[in-house]
Amino acid sequence: MESKRTWRMKKRKVRIRIPSHVPFLLPFFILVTLFFFIPVILNILLAFTDMDFAMRWDFVGFKNYFRFVSDPIIPKVLVNTVIYVAATLAINVGLGLALALLNTYYVPENVGLIFRAIWLLPRMTPPVVYALLWLWVLDPTEYGLLNMIVGKNVNWTMQHPLGIVILVNGLIGASFGMIIFSASIKSIPRDYIMAAQVDGASNWEIVRRIIIPLLRWPLMFVTTWQTLSLLASYEYILLVTDGGPFYKSEVWSLYAYHTAFSHQMYGYGAAIAMVLVVVAVIVTLIMLKIFGFKRLMELAGG
Amino acid sequence: MTKEKRRYAAPTTLAKVRGKMARSVPYILLIISSLPILSMYLWLFMSSLSSKVMFGFIPAGITVRNWRFLWEPIQMGGAAHLSVWKATWNTLIFALMVMLLVVLVATLAGFALSRMQFRGRESLMRLIIILHAFPGITLLIAIFYVLYFLTRVTHLKFLDSLWGVALVKASLEIPWSAWIIKGFFDNIPWEVEWSAYIDGCNRFQAWYKVILPQLKPGIAAISIFSFLAGWGEFIYLYTFIFSQENQTLSLLIKALIGEFRFTDYGLLAAVSLFYIFPVLVFFIFTQKGLMQVSAGGIKGGR
Amino acid sequence: MASIRLERLTKKFGKVIAVNGLSLEVQDGEFISLLGPSGCGKTTTLLMIAGIYRPTEGNVYFDDVLVNDVAPKDRYVGLVFQSYALYPHMKVYENIAFPLRLAKVPKKEIDRRVREVASLTKIEELLDRMPGQLSGGQQQRVALCRALVKEPEILLLDEPLSNLDARLRIETRAEIKRLQRELGITSILVTHDQVEAMTMAERIAVMHSGVLQQYDPPGVLYDRPKNLFVASFIGDPPMNLISMKVMEREGQLILSADGFHLPVPEGLRERLSTLVGEEVVLGLRPEDMTLAREERPGSIPGEVFLTEPLGGGTLVHFIFGDVKLRVLAPREQPVDVGDRLWIVLQEEKVHVFGPDGRSLRDSDAAA
Repeated sequence: MESKRTWRMKKRKVRIRIPSHVPFLLPFFILVTLFFFIPVILNILLAFTDMDFAMRWDFVGFKNYFRFVSDPIIPKVLVNTVIYVAATLAINVGLGLALALLNTYYVPENVGLIFRAIWLLPRMTPPVVYALLWLWVLDPTEYGLLNMIVGKNVNWTMQHPLGIVILVNGLIGASFGMIIFSASIKSIPRDYIMAAQVDGASNWEIVRRIIIPLLRWPLMFVTTWQTLSLLASYEYILLVTDGGPFYKSEVWSLYAYHTAFSHQMYGYGAAIAMVLVVVAVIVTLIMLKIFGFKRLMELAGG
Repeated sequence: MTKEKRRYAAPTTLAKVRGKMARSVPYILLIISSLPILSMYLWLFMSSLSSKVMFGFIPAGITVRNWRFLWEPIQMGGAAHLSVWKATWNTLIFALMVMLLVVLVATLAGFALSRMQFRGRESLMRLIIILHAFPGITLLIAIFYVLYFLTRVTHLKFLDSLWGVALVKASLEIPWSAWIIKGFFDNIPWEVEWSAYIDGCNRFQAWYKVILPQLKPGIAAISIFSFLAGWGEFIYLYTFIFSQENQTLSLLIKALIGEFRFTDYGLLAAVSLFYIFPVLVFFIFTQKGLMQVSAGGIKGGR
Repeated sequence: MASIRLERLTKKFGKVIAVNGLSLEVQDGEFISLLGPSGCGKTTTLLMIAGIYRPTEGNVYFDDVLVNDVAPKDRYVGLVFQSYALYPHMKVYENIAFPLRLAKVPKKEIDRRVREVASLTKIEELLDRMPGQLSGGQQQRVALCRALVKEPEILLLDEPLSNLDARLRIETRAEIKRLQRELGITSILVTHDQVEAMTMAERIAVMHSGVLQQYDPPGVLYDRPKNLFVASFIGDPPMNLISMKVMEREGQLILSADGFHLPVPEGLRERLSTLVGEEVVLGLRPEDMTLAREERPGSIPGEVFLTEPLGGGTLVHFIFGDVKLRVLAPREQPVDVGDRLWIVLQEEKVHVFGPDGRSLRDSDAAA
């Protein structure tokens, strides 16, 4: 009896020795490796090739990067990207903050909920449909909403493509800031607000001197997170203007996409994407430095 | 600290009126800023039911013709389009695959991340956050190659197949889903798990029979989110799916937009409304839930 | 300094009635207290006086002017919150200067007044620190400064001492009282601690479930509590409250409980004669009774059940059937368990509360 039991215990002991987290994490690792790590390495490699629709690995060294420097479209794309990111960021953060303040401080909770819901609608809508809605708004005939307001038939996507693109993304991006700032504002103890009221502050003064100073961290977080997001965004632009007309609204990510998938120049496209990665990595590092990683974990809810 | 005594005066009617006007400004601002969004969705709804739309919203005639895609194949611009029902089926399959993959892999991984101490846990978690901030386009081109390569090597269709793209989409959703699930796991006390082991479960059984059931809200959350993410997905499908028979509703609508942006808005609107129906349902549900939570009047302001 | 008048003040939050028909007045320069258990509506009343809450019904008057619609900034009140509510992102100096900056007072003037008020509460060295670096007592003094710096007509204090430790509490109590007297500002102190209210306020408004129970100087509350609630709330150790029945025995009116009987005092005979057969509550303060070794007229015999030495005196417990009675004996009087002693009462200090809870000594109490 005794020996049997000890033997069985021994057997179980041995089984536990094998790290048991492996099977749990295996699927995760496989997928993440396949679709994150390998692509990252591949992208670096691809940038040194001249791969096209034939899918051949023609290594050409730094040719793509030279092509990049001499590509006449690149400066246009660069300028567009800078304008796009800066302007949309301003909307995302500014409008997001304004909406959060209006919804959580200036109006009662249940009213705020309604408007917050309305502003979340675009974000939750499938991109094609959201784009379709904008296409109607921008319709160059007299049926387009903007034209009805303005009174004449303007072809918005032709004449103001960058501005349009900024609006389209801004409306969606603002809801991100709105959510984050709303949560932060709600966590400010009511006592501070009441004390300020007794001290003689008007609503605006309370917002300016008490609420916003206490929002410093969320503001920085949203700004940097959104900057990264905007650098990488292209889906809505593709759907509404497709970078046109003639690259007037072409941003960096979209140019990489077009190069690879519309012109079938995968190697060159990868190179363009690589430059973007470098920029994104730099921004991420700066973000980590400013916040300190611990703070980021807190904010991410870890 | 002596000084003149102050006089009190009840506010004049003018002051009161001014006060009322000032208080209504936030409401006005919110309404005005929300009008664009509201009008867009209102148009969507109205268009789907009208033969022609005047002034954006007022239908010139109610018709069901726009919904004919439900029983007729769509005939426009010469090219035949995929039947809407087939596209819906594709969308459903795709969304379900994404959901199942995400739930399965994320809960397994979340469990390991939460419970198990192993070398590299910290860095893995850090990685997850960094991954989320990575620009998607840089991966897209390389993923294209990965899918191509896998297709060549395994003779299974990864490119131009719904489940190939589902793998990709799921892989992008999994990191943050795992993060969220980890958070839920963190809230389950160790003792519950230990009882399971003492009762004779191995790690998998413990995970499946004891812990998972307690995670219902977390699992519900990520299933819904990943399903909706899959349902609304556009760009990856657009890039990786070529044959018409694999089109999802998002691709179908994109194709339709290309065909007759200026002619049949009614049909487009109807198809779109049909497409976003589950999203709207979910949206209404969650807003209702949120409303109820905050409706219990609390000690609020004036 | 302003006088305050509250007229049938009511505040409802949905279905909950936090303050119910509160009416009282505070005179110019007076220091009163709102006293009661938590949830009795005292903080809500304070916030209505400050203008942060709007009354559901009723009126607030400052110097006989209706101020219901006047915004907090125009009411010239200073409010010290229980949590102090110091702005965490501003230095102490800035916290105190905040009201003056909002009122656009010139810089030099701000500096003078901030330093003046800081010296009043002796926190001059703390002006450059951040609130997070201060102890509770220091934060409280900063909050006080911020309230006083704008030279308010009315000072409102919401449980200012409850977050302080016992020793600091006693010190601060005296300090606040001294400050108020020196500055002469009309002040209202909200607290749940009756010792605080009794020692600091000139008059105390006892509240319970949003309703005013009694509004009198501390001595009156102590000697002539109007109802059961006030009687039981005020006084430490608490008043003995015993359920008794009014009965007639041998032509005499007595109060009777199981094993414990008491002849009705002269002054209450008339009232109690109408209540024969009813249940009333007898109230006796432990310190209003003395213990004698021999029988005295009107005294009650009893055997000591338990003694609790309190340092300044001894709390002596007696049991009569279901009835427990506690008597406070002076320090010099040795009492042991088992002693047979006589409990001596003073007629005027015997309280009886009718079936509705109101004191039968109260001249307003209708029969």
